[in-house]
Formats: sequence, structure tokens, C-alpha cells
Amino acid sequence: MADTNTLTHTEEATSLDVPWNVVVHDDPVNLMGYVTFVLMKIFGYEKKKADILMMQVHRQGRSIVWTGEREKAEFYVQQLQSHQLKTSLEKAE
Amino acid sequence: MKAMPTLEGGLRIDAENVGDWTVLRAIVADAGAANGVDLASRLGALISEEAGAEDWEEYIVPDLREAFQDELAQVGANIESAIFEVDGGPGPLWISREDVFPWYSALNQARLSLEEIFHFGPGEDIDPTTLPPAKGAAYIRSRFYCAIQGLLLDHVMK
Repeated sequence: MADTNTLTHTEEATSLDVPWNVVVHDDPVNLMGYVTFVLMKIFGYEKKKADILMMQVHRQGRSIVWTGEREKAEFYVQQLQSHQLKTSLEKAE
Repeated sequence: MKAMPTLEGGLRIDAENVGDWTVLRAIVADAGAANGVDLASRLGALISEEAGAEDWEEYIVPDLREAFQDELAQVGANIESAIFEVDGGPGPLWISREDVFPWYSALNQARLSLEEIFHFGPGEDIDPTTLPPAKGAAYIRSRFYCAIQGLLLDHVMK
């Protein structure tokens, strides 16, 4: 009877969660004051920061308003869309 | 039509004739008019395949659609209720602090919808008399909705 050897090989793989961006896009309808208001309400940003992000949306056509884990990013996009802001989700580079 | 802030932090709108009520009623009609594609679907279309468009369409868009429709229904009921107010016909339309978000949402849905159809753009200095009649009328309604939103934002939401 032949000896049987059992070889156990263990590989450890670590994958880091890729951060996701919450992006607000410009549109000709939503009022600037409303965009600031929504950013303050949803993210708890100070007015100054919310104003800067709103102006980015207005001048550059889009702004990354939050970056982080996917599940939370999805929640924020849902919240922003429920306030009728044009919002998308993209992988952070 | 007159609109003014109330001491309780809300807004009071006094419609002065049938035409004013027609414009107010148009909020709900305009909100649902956007070329057959509703706002929830248009927002859902912003989610890419990589970001999970299919799941978004299945799970999030229906919730958004229902929420938007609920807000429109509430505003429509407020308007009808004011029109048929007891004792002496139409009364003022009251927008309290508690009701401000459905109202802002309904006005925004109407403006987004009109923009989707007519593409007015961000310009505020369009002369509506230079537009075809239907587009000119829609532009005037859109500017009116925007003015009410400004009042809500400045006097009720903050």
C-alpha cells in the first residue's frame, strides 16, 4: 500500500474595495441655491463647501461631491436623485 | 396671482381668477408631460452598466417613481382642496413648512419636464412672444414655477 501524502496549499488574496465617486451633473433647471441646500442636507457639508461644489457643477458641468465605499455611494446617489439632481456613480481613478 | 410668506414660515398663494387656478393646476399636468419618459427613468439612465444600471432600474427607479408620483398627488390634492374650499368658493393656497418639499418637488418635476420637451436652456431673458404659442406659454409657466420655487427656497426651506 502506497503512502498517501496530502499537500495543502493555501493562497491568500486581498482585494481592496475600489472607492466610488458620487457625481452631480449640471442641468438648466435646478436652482443654484437648491443644489447647495441639498448638498448641505444630505452630506452635512458646511455652506461654504456646498457652495464650492455647486459652483463646480455650474461652471465645469459636473462635480465629484463624495468619494468612498460603494454601498454608501449608492445610498447618496439615491438620495440626490430623490431630490431630482442629475447624479451618477463612477469608479474613482 | 399673489404670493407672500406667512408669519408661520410658510407661503400663501392667492389665485385671483380662473386663469390663475388653471396655471396652478398645470403644475401636475406639466410634471407628467415629458415625452413619455418619466423623471425617475431619466435619472436612472444616468447609472452606467459598470455602476449597476440593471439593478438600479429594478430596485431604485420604481421607488423614485412612486415618491415623485406621491408628491404630485399631494400637491394636486392641495390645489383642488383650495379651489373647492367651503363657504364662498376658492380660498388661499397655503404651503406650510411641512408641505414644502412635495411642493418644491412638484414644481421642479414640472420644470424638468418642460425643459425636456422644449429645451429652454438656462437663459432667463427669452422673449416668450417670439416663441410658437405652445412653447411661449410653457416658458411663462416654467418661469412662474421657478419664481414660486425661489420664494419657497428663500422663505420656507431655509
